[in-house]
Amino acid sequence: MLKLLPALLPWWLAGPGLGLCVAALYGLANRRLGVSGAWLAAVVAPIEGWPGERWRVEFLAAVIGGALAASVLGSATRLIGYPVLSRTLPAAALLPVLATGGLALGYGARCAEGCTSGHGLSGCASGSPDSLAATAIFFAAAVAVTFAVQALTGGAL
Amino acid sequence: MNRGLRASTAGVGIAFGFLITGSGFGNYTTIHQALLLRSWYLFAVFCSAVAVAAAVLMLLRRSGTTRYGGPLRLPHGPIRRRQVYGAAIFGAGFGLTGACPGSAVAMVATGGLGGLLVLAGLVGGMCLRGPTARPAGSQQPDVRADPLPVQPLIRRGP
Repeated sequence: MLKLLPALLPWWLAGPGLGLCVAALYGLANRRLGVSGAWLAAVVAPIEGWPGERWRVEFLAAVIGGALAASVLGSATRLIGYPVLSRTLPAAALLPVLATGGLALGYGARCAEGCTSGHGLSGCASGSPDSLAATAIFFAAAVAVTFAVQALTGGAL
Repeated sequence: MNRGLRASTAGVGIAFGFLITGSGFGNYTTIHQALLLRSWYLFAVFCSAVAVAAAVLMLLRRSGTTRYGGPLRLPHGPIRRRQVYGAAIFGAGFGLTGACPGSAVAMVATGGLGGLLVLAGLVGGMCLRGPTARPAGSQQPDVRADPLPVQPLIRRGP
């Protein structure tokens, strides 16, 4: 909005910055940085009726706050957020695709006990075998599905 | 809860949210182009993040302690089968939506309302899965949220 930030932070800023976040949470709080765990504690726990760890809820709130700050300061703002997808699919198809994709993300993250931040960044940084494996599988599956969709839509997506 | 713990968690959270949004991860095209192997940006960010974190962790391991959370305990767990198929399912969702639990926040924060649907699905999928039984000695660091205050061994006077 305010366009004080470039549309894309250079990788050598964003990457090391994220890495420092992971290391900082370990070094300061002895905690594994992970967003899916935060969603579990903040939203799923109340639904299922078990006590979610409070720090995860506060972490999620902070992530949302930071994201909003970047949005206000930055340049990239788009409505819907799925330009290619919404051009290729009618709304009737786009909505279920996004919802189903989200379902897979949630189901998979809970099964895997982590997501691209928990396993991908934090777990890999600490060299945990399950995180390394999970991350490799995350990306392999994502790439495979992306190519499959591309083939199925004849290159439209 | 210990003030230092809360402040660190909040500070890191804000920085994290800021960075994933500023790096364009809330943008479907950014992720999609990377997953089509046409853009290396996502992988460059990801690999440099892990590399930097790993390097700092090597230093942290030497000190063995954390500022507010007691002795350092890093996750280190064996690969379990449900994590393998969970990861595959997650990856499929990642490929379909070009989003993950964190980047969807970035997407919504930058006005991408489609991200709300992804997040709704995320919560739904987690509920669908239901609680997973945590095996003994699981990889999550077992940190008390409120460290016990140190009690004096000898009480002074009345």
